[in-house]
Amino acid sequence: MSTAAWAHAWAVFCKELLDALRDRRTLLMVLLSSVAMGPVVLVLISTLASSFEKRAEAREVVVAGITHAPGLRNYLERQTYTVKEAPPDYEQQLKESRLQDPVLVVPADFEQTLRAGEAPVLVVVSHSANQRAQGGVGRIAGLLRGYNQEQAALRLLVRGVSPSLLQAVEVQEFDLASPATRGAQLSFMLPFFVLMAVLYGALNAALDTTAGERERGSLEPLLMNPASPLALTVGKWAAVSAVGMLIAVLSCLSFLPGQWLLRSETLSAMFRFGPSDAASFLALLLPLAGALSAALMAIAIRCKSFKEAQANATVVLLAVSMLPLVSVFNPGGEAAWHLWVPALGQITLMGRVLKGEPLAALDIGIPLLVSVAVAAVGVWFVARSLRAAAIK
Amino acid sequence: MIEVQDLSRRFVQGRGRKARTVQAVDGVSFTAANGRITGLLGPNGAGKTTTLRMVAALLKPDAGRITVDGLDVAAQPQQALARMGVLSDARGLYTRLTARENILYFARLHGVPKEQAEARVETLADMLEMRPLLQRRTEGFSQGERMKTSLARALIHDPPNIILDEPTNGLDVLATRALRESLKRLRDEQGKCIIFSTHIMQEVERLCDQVVVVAHGRTVAQGTVAELSARTGLADFEETFVTLAFGGGAQPQKGVDA
Repeated sequence: MSTAAWAHAWAVFCKELLDALRDRRTLLMVLLSSVAMGPVVLVLISTLASSFEKRAEAREVVVAGITHAPGLRNYLERQTYTVKEAPPDYEQQLKESRLQDPVLVVPADFEQTLRAGEAPVLVVVSHSANQRAQGGVGRIAGLLRGYNQEQAALRLLVRGVSPSLLQAVEVQEFDLASPATRGAQLSFMLPFFVLMAVLYGALNAALDTTAGERERGSLEPLLMNPASPLALTVGKWAAVSAVGMLIAVLSCLSFLPGQWLLRSETLSAMFRFGPSDAASFLALLLPLAGALSAALMAIAIRCKSFKEAQANATVVLLAVSMLPLVSVFNPGGEAAWHLWVPALGQITLMGRVLKGEPLAALDIGIPLLVSVAVAAVGVWFVARSLRAAAIK
Repeated sequence: MIEVQDLSRRFVQGRGRKARTVQAVDGVSFTAANGRITGLLGPNGAGKTTTLRMVAALLKPDAGRITVDGLDVAAQPQQALARMGVLSDARGLYTRLTARENILYFARLHGVPKEQAEARVETLADMLEMRPLLQRRTEGFSQGERMKTSLARALIHDPPNIILDEPTNGLDVLATRALRESLKRLRDEQGKCIIFSTHIMQEVERLCDQVVVVAHGRTVAQGTVAELSARTGLADFEETFVTLAFGGGAQPQKGVDA
């Protein structure tokens, strides 16, 4: 493009940016819904996790009818657990999620049955819709397994048999995941939120500069200026991308202070998102904002009204929101081709950043190349369609 | 000066077997001289808007040639557009910008330096009597206010050639009169070449130095109002127009003014 064309593109860029920023109400909604979304989710997850932690730290067991089993009580207290008597209406309370621990029910004839050598039945009552209570079931089951083993060992000892005979294999658990990888499990949604924020940020401006311009009837007068359609399109695209990039920067940065809101200590230790991670995110997101802007504009320029364009843009929105599922459904995990798909590549790489893996230059290079190609094709298509769009 | 020679353009509607071609413009020729107001008069669907869109380089003609001050529009569209101010059929404004910002946006696209553009806005605001509008956002402007802003936008680079597509559409009597006075002043004081399309006889009678009657996509007659009336021998200009455009009786019209 010539100097004059760049001047035209710059004029269009300034005007479109001003126009987009004047649309305060839409901008505010985008900022609230997309930029604030991530930190809010982060806080919700952390509240949930910290209440799990508290429950685990509390070392309490809620039992109905502990008086029937003094031996069990003794065992639980030796494991440094506090035994709490269950409220009489515990079933109702569990259903309504007012009680947040599962309840161990001890039958009245527990001691006698045990002494008689029969197996008394202990029931752990929980409610699968009550997540916190459900989370405690495994802990109680583990405790009861321990009690069971102790009792069985005592019986064997009485009969002169070594309990180790029953333990042919010893099982130990060892988690290979570093704290950062465990954190990534919780924060796998984060790249998705950032991506959607960018998409929604660019959406409005993209539709307004194309389909909106057609609907207002301002495209025809615009084309009667001595500016080439390419220069006009480049200016418009740059403005739309700038809005998308602004949202990308804001939403990435919003996770930095968002971290301080993490109430769970282990979670904040696991979820590491420092300035260098934010920078990696932006290196991936900024080119993508340009590509998505161009794609949205290319779809919208074919539409006569803003409303029609919104309906058509749903395809892009849907595609991007479905992409994280690819890695979930794909049994092979990450595949090499994921990096070549716009949005999916970025999500994959952002996931790696969160796992604490370093990004290779090639890893960033592939999505960058794809983004540039998508943006170029989109801009070219819009520029080509501009004249025809103006007169129909 | 704008010269149009044997312009033609057809549109294809629909696809495949249902495709139908419509010859929107089929041999329009006229010359609009400097210091004169040339009226493009024709019924709805005669091809006026299509012709003007081709003059403004928005559409490529299938055949024919257009020159603006000697510049071939097909070969040098941007240079030609720089010498034209076009008030098109569509007059959309940017509703979140003020009238002044709307006008200055087009000034930048025309490459008018900032100070010059500011001064020009003041001149146009006085000429079009729109000074109170300048600082207002164009959201909720009336038809007349929108027209004035669009016209100021089209004239911001002080073009020697002015093209107006049915500028009085939707305007009330006072606004129409004001526009007419403005156009006369542009012609008399600055010697502009003005093309003005309309389907309203009175406007042509009151304003135009030269009339080009277009019907069925063709130029059917050219001349001053007096010349055309003399040619048909009718005193009433409306009768003259109907005779020239439809050959006396009303004929079925083409349905497309795309």
